[in-house]
Amino acid sequence: MAVVDVFGEKVEKLSNTNRTRARWLLKTGWEAQNLKFKLMPDKRLIPADRFLAGMMMDAMLKPLQCPDQCAVVSVFTPCELLQEVGLNPYNTEAMSCYLSASKVERSLLQQAENSGIAETLCSYHKTFFGAAQKGLLPRPRCIVYTNVMCDANMLTFRALANLYKVPLFSLDVPLQQNEENVLYVAEQLKALAAFLEKSTGKKIDEKSLSQRLERSKRTLEKFGRFQEEKADRYIPADLVSPLYCGMTNNILMGTPQEEKFVDMLLRDVKKAPAKKGKRIYWMHTIPFWSDAVRQELCFNEKAQIVGCELSQVCEPDFDPADPYMAMAHRLVYHALNGSVNRRIEAGIRHAKQTKADGVVWFNHWGCKHTMGAAQIAKKKFEEAGLPLLILDGDGCDRSHGGEGQTSTRLGAFLEMLNGDKV
Amino acid sequence: MSNKLYYVCKYTPIELLEAFGADCASLNEMPEGFEHADQIAHPNICGFGKAVLEQVISEHVKELVIVNCCDTIRSVYDILADSGKLDFLYIMDMPHDNGSCGRERTVTQLKGLAKAYSEYKGTTFDEAAFRKAFRPKERLNEPYISVLGARMGNELFDVVRQTMPYPVENDTCVNNRSAGNEQPPETSDFDELMDWYAGALLRQLPCMRMIDNTGRKQLYNNPNLKGIIYHTVKFCDFYSFEYAQIKREAAVPLLKIESDYSLQNGGQLSTRLEAFAESITAEWQKGKEKKMGKGYFAGIDSGSTSTDVVILDKDQKMVTGIILPTGAGAAAGAERALEEALKEAHLQREDIDAMVTTGYGRTAITEGDKSITEITCHARGAHFLDPSVRTVVDIGGQDSKVIRLDENGAVVNFVMNDKCAAGTGRFLEMMARTMEISLDEMSHRGLKYKEDITISSMCTVFAESEVVSLIAQNKDTDDIVHGLNKAVATKTAALAKRVGGEERYMMTGGVSKNESLVKTLEEKLGTTLVVDERAQLCGALGAALFAMDMVEKD
Repeated sequence: MAVVDVFGEKVEKLSNTNRTRARWLLKTGWEAQNLKFKLMPDKRLIPADRFLAGMMMDAMLKPLQCPDQCAVVSVFTPCELLQEVGLNPYNTEAMSCYLSASKVERSLLQQAENSGIAETLCSYHKTFFGAAQKGLLPRPRCIVYTNVMCDANMLTFRALANLYKVPLFSLDVPLQQNEENVLYVAEQLKALAAFLEKSTGKKIDEKSLSQRLERSKRTLEKFGRFQEEKADRYIPADLVSPLYCGMTNNILMGTPQEEKFVDMLLRDVKKAPAKKGKRIYWMHTIPFWSDAVRQELCFNEKAQIVGCELSQVCEPDFDPADPYMAMAHRLVYHALNGSVNRRIEAGIRHAKQTKADGVVWFNHWGCKHTMGAAQIAKKKFEEAGLPLLILDGDGCDRSHGGEGQTSTRLGAFLEMLNGDKV
Repeated sequence: MSNKLYYVCKYTPIELLEAFGADCASLNEMPEGFEHADQIAHPNICGFGKAVLEQVISEHVKELVIVNCCDTIRSVYDILADSGKLDFLYIMDMPHDNGSCGRERTVTQLKGLAKAYSEYKGTTFDEAAFRKAFRPKERLNEPYISVLGARMGNELFDVVRQTMPYPVENDTCVNNRSAGNEQPPETSDFDELMDWYAGALLRQLPCMRMIDNTGRKQLYNNPNLKGIIYHTVKFCDFYSFEYAQIKREAAVPLLKIESDYSLQNGGQLSTRLEAFAESITAEWQKGKEKKMGKGYFAGIDSGSTSTDVVILDKDQKMVTGIILPTGAGAAAGAERALEEALKEAHLQREDIDAMVTTGYGRTAITEGDKSITEITCHARGAHFLDPSVRTVVDIGGQDSKVIRLDENGAVVNFVMNDKCAAGTGRFLEMMARTMEISLDEMSHRGLKYKEDITISSMCTVFAESEVVSLIAQNKDTDDIVHGLNKAVATKTAALAKRVGGEERYMMTGGVSKNESLVKTLEEKLGTTLVVDERAQLCGALGAALFAMDMVEKD
């Protein structure tokens, strides 16, 4: 039995009897993993991605180490305001990924379902909610979320606020892209600033916030440049680095560490060898746990993931001088907000930017937005000259796997891209 | 093809649309299936979204106003906009905020829709028509049952209405629209009217997509409310959160049902509805419509796998109890089993004073005096076998259920698995076949497992492929069987938790003979299960006891 299996089983068992011990074990296990990332990083990765693994693990540990200095957030919540009051992101999607990687997700999903939550709810949300119900994940200072792209946010965060008995702030982002709606969101962001000031007793300095937004803008510009420069290079990729990047490019946007990571990427890409194999652009989340996907795309010179939609959801086209309007603009013009055509067009643009050979549209179980648009996406991507594979699965819950099917579909798609003769 | 303008959400400004000459109708019909929708969307989106797609593809709808209700409906809009199949298609971007900021944005949305529809239709705002469009909706003012939760299609609602012992109110989703109950103020200024109208739309009982939905509690706090049927639609997640809350707070009997918004739900739903109606009225216990004759009473349980017959004498002694395979038809199977039982008991058909049928085939059997659902019968039978039992776990061929009963054997609450076969007897049968062992053998294997294997797939088909790969890895049969037992036990224990299972537990149904599964389930539940040797006859026994109730004693 692998170490992680034993660890998962132990945490699961303890969470039924002694939640404090279970939480301690989870934290200690993750701290040990973090130490490993720092002392014995995976040499196959470029330095920037090794740094990324540690940075992500640090971010995941904060809620376990100091929950009172953390705010539960949905992945697309603009976090610059939180950073200004010293709150760390306690992100549902990322947390659930780590719980799944620690093999404790099954009992947490079961816990949520037992309480009456729909089996068809997104498994990231269900895992987090189950963990909160079991007391495995500690009480945060407050909760902030947006409705961008995901209905589950509206349900889970409200229920979590009731469960933890903490203040809740929701950002209502309209579907249509116009300046009136940007103003509407900007007003809400100002109310969010007041909410955070009240929650923490700290003041937000608008000048400092502006500088932070400048950093976000620079980071996004540099990341875009990296994706372009990467187009003719080979960078070894596992399944988690593109996903980490999809998370940090949202929840850590505005931090010096995220800018440092992007600077490292720009440095590393210059040393990278010429491109090899087939290049896959990935839409939506990545089932990092799947052996079938790992076999085809993990550290594989023949085919690798060269970008993930989640790391490129907004353009650096905002003005940091007016930070509230800047963040509001980012939300309203977010690639995943509004008609699905906007999401598809952004996907096509970014896939072409990094010279992808094909695209995987991952229908994560429970994500109705992604599943509903799958057929339109197939048509539009292929019209743009990008072959697209619709792959059904789950980014977090192994029981929705169907590994045989995943292997066949992904294998056949790569054979098709290679023009293999059968 | 219809000239109506269809809408899907209660926040749709139908009074405004009527003022521009629209003939508005709620799109609430359940289709036969989703053949077309599955081709252009994805099977795993909410059934109502697929129903909208079906209606448009089959050209029943040419004008449609959608609200950005949820991810599925937004996707439906994207798909329909791409298809170009509608003459008029519009999505209203209703705010989630029902406060003052939301009201301002709603006004903008109302004006946007008014402009678009006016241009399409070539009409202008008719104030008189606007005022006339406000038509108050009458509500029941007597004891009633409320259907709450995700929208319920017209066809299923009709079934509910026919089954329930009280009048039924459809309070789901679009059906609790109440904006029409208000009257516009005395002004002709369009801007003022729209400002008021936005408020009227937002003052309605909030739906689950609204940020503040605390007002929904009034749905289940009405003193006339006798019971709640909580309906969810597969792949619509909004309402499961409210259900979880109502389950804790409601003071009246509560039944949860789930449909996929197609007409294919059939048998299981009607069994649940009938059992719920039985638990509310307990009317079957009242009638003494038969006279005592020879003093024999029969119960027939027509299940998907076996048909069981129990005959009791007037002292409640079991004269005979037999189990036969159901075969091709429920009626023929029941007749054969009854003949066999009578033969074994040396009785004639006319010696039976009353006979009650139960199980899936209960309504197909014309011979019985009454039919009662297997849920009520199982509870009664279990109580008879052991009065200390408060929770019955019944794993049958095509479904599994957990029933909670009171000290008199009446049903307090129950829950059944969904349409999927995972966690049922059929699941185990299929897996036994895959492993090329008999069910008997399966019942003993798994007791002596060495490796604790977890079968992670819940879907029967995927689980089967997992088993195949475990066999390929040369895993021991005992270990695989134990993994399968764990999968079934986990699903069953989840049902027990959902229904609030209490000690003591009894297990009934054919699967109660599976020793290794019973053991695993005991471990999962953390308690022992009462397994009576007559457990498989529990439903038929309950039915025979109900038959006895029908007879006036001397």
